Amino acid sequence: MTTEPGHDAAVAVHSLVKTFKGDVKALDGVSFEIPTGTILGLLGPNGAGKTTAVRVLTTLLKPDSGTARVAGVDVIAHPGKARTVIGLAGQYAAVDEALTGMENLMLVGRLNHLPRGEGRVRAVELLEQFGLADAGGRTLKTYSGGMRRRLDLAAALVARPPVLFLDEPTTGLDPRSRIDLWVVIEGLVAQGVTVLLTTQYLEEADRLADHICVIDHGRVLASGTSTELKAKLGGTAVEVELADEATTARAAEALRGVGDEAPVVDGLLVRVATSSGLATTAEVVRRLESSGLDVRSLQLRQPSLDEVFLSLTGRPADETDADVDTAEAS
Amino acid sequence: MTTALPAHNVGGLGGGVGQAIGDSLAMAGRNVRRLLRAPDQVVFTLVSPIMFTLLFRYVFGGAISGLGHINYVNYLIPGIAVQTAIFTSGNSGFALAEDRASGFVDRLRSLPMARVAVLAGRVTADMLSNATGLVIIVVVGLAVGFRPHSVPGLILGFVLLLGFTLATSFIFALLGLFASSSQAVNAMTFPVVFPLTFASSAFVPTSTMPSWLRAFADHQPVTIVIDAVRDLTLGNVTAAQRAELFGGTSTTSLVVQSLVWTLGIGIVFGYLAVRRYNSTAS
Repeated sequence: MTTEPGHDAAVAVHSLVKTFKGDVKALDGVSFEIPTGTILGLLGPNGAGKTTAVRVLTTLLKPDSGTARVAGVDVIAHPGKARTVIGLAGQYAAVDEALTGMENLMLVGRLNHLPRGEGRVRAVELLEQFGLADAGGRTLKTYSGGMRRRLDLAAALVARPPVLFLDEPTTGLDPRSRIDLWVVIEGLVAQGVTVLLTTQYLEEADRLADHICVIDHGRVLASGTSTELKAKLGGTAVEVELADEATTARAAEALRGVGDEAPVVDGLLVRVATSSGLATTAEVVRRLESSGLDVRSLQLRQPSLDEVFLSLTGRPADETDADVDTAEAS
Repeated sequence: MTTALPAHNVGGLGGGVGQAIGDSLAMAGRNVRRLLRAPDQVVFTLVSPIMFTLLFRYVFGGAISGLGHINYVNYLIPGIAVQTAIFTSGNSGFALAEDRASGFVDRLRSLPMARVAVLAGRVTADMLSNATGLVIIVVVGLAVGFRPHSVPGLILGFVLLLGFTLATSFIFALLGLFASSSQAVNAMTFPVVFPLTFASSAFVPTSTMPSWLRAFADHQPVTIVIDAVRDLTLGNVTAAQRAELFGGTSTTSLVVQSLVWTLGIGIVFGYLAVRRYNSTAS
């Protein structure tokens, strides 16, 4: 057992396949692992298979083939046991609009078979932790979108599950609420919780995820840390912005031979691709200084995750794949 | 948060009957709370039966024959009660479809609760709501002249009826688990309930119907339950009246037939609904 790969991982998924009606392959051999106490960002456009993967891991859906273990529990063979170690929140897991915040959390506590007193204490604790203490007695109809998402997350945490699944937890939230939720999620991971986060927001994956797994059409296209993914796309470049477009040719001439390739001119910018960022930057500064050109800014820049995403999937993160989306909804 | 929770429930099936009952009560409590917070919904479902009561009591009632000298209002109210109760049990399907659409069912499925509790809690809450509705129907009935023969007869009849609606709730629950939306459930409920309640002895004796319709009406479960409830609330039915109203069937036979239908529908549709809910594919 100990030699089996992924034994230490809180989540280990191997070759998951799920086909919906109409031969739509929502999952086409997805594999990934999440080390305990880290966040994996499952990144992909709408209909890429993110939600299907979460539904399999949270026992809502049986895959056609493949294996999935959460906290050491085989979710396909022992769904009942798996439900004691997971929490689910986000886009598709709801709280009850007609109940108060307190009632929602106490109901989840009761259905997790916490003793009633303990359930109440836990509910109060969570309301406090999520800044909902004052709103706990009001029905959710009166909550803002951000408050509702926080309560939704709180509901997933009632039984203190070691593994948390957050399916697009911030979709549709305003920037302020999104950042609030990010802080909460970071706090949970600091306490040792393992998180699988699906998102279409690259910024969110970049900020929260220790590892990112880009999927589309049910396949893993790339995985690694955000830095690794960016490096894969072509590494870093020193980017010089000049004050006057007429001087860009002279600047390019001055920087010839510094980077790995010849400098590229793009408007006011001169870009020098490099694999040794710091040394190249120092050399660029020295040469620009002696050339006496008027430089507006200079930076050592990585490609954005957006660029990585676009190059991998051929479409931006927020674009919908209509076919698969319909199948997922049915 | 660094330590995993103690295993509150590791049993694959939900940890036994005690836990299943506890979970069902928790769900029923949640459903009742919802109903109490939207009382207009419950009241609204009673508007049309009350209008029917007035319509048949005062407009059509005088023209209805074949009653064997029974006051029509005493004939009518049990019919209205059964019709109302069956329509109300349709809420089981509507509410389940709503919970599916909102994602609440997904949350429940991801919890280590007894799976049967979602359905059991639903039908229990709807039965309680039905009991409230029946009290209101009786009060309205009393106001327009309904006089049950005895209180025990009335209570017995309504307990029998509530049992039957518990069974019909499972029919609608099954619809609610298949339907694509709560509106679709509503659309499906009407064509199921309408023929069963109107092609029955609810408003007029089946002896006045054409023979082909009467053949259906006399043998379908809604007529049998209405007749059983009517027999119990009327009390003291003479042999001649029994022949005219119930085709001579005895009280015991009507009650037993009702119970058999109740159990049959409950078991078949309860089983199908639980199976549908447990199949994780939806």
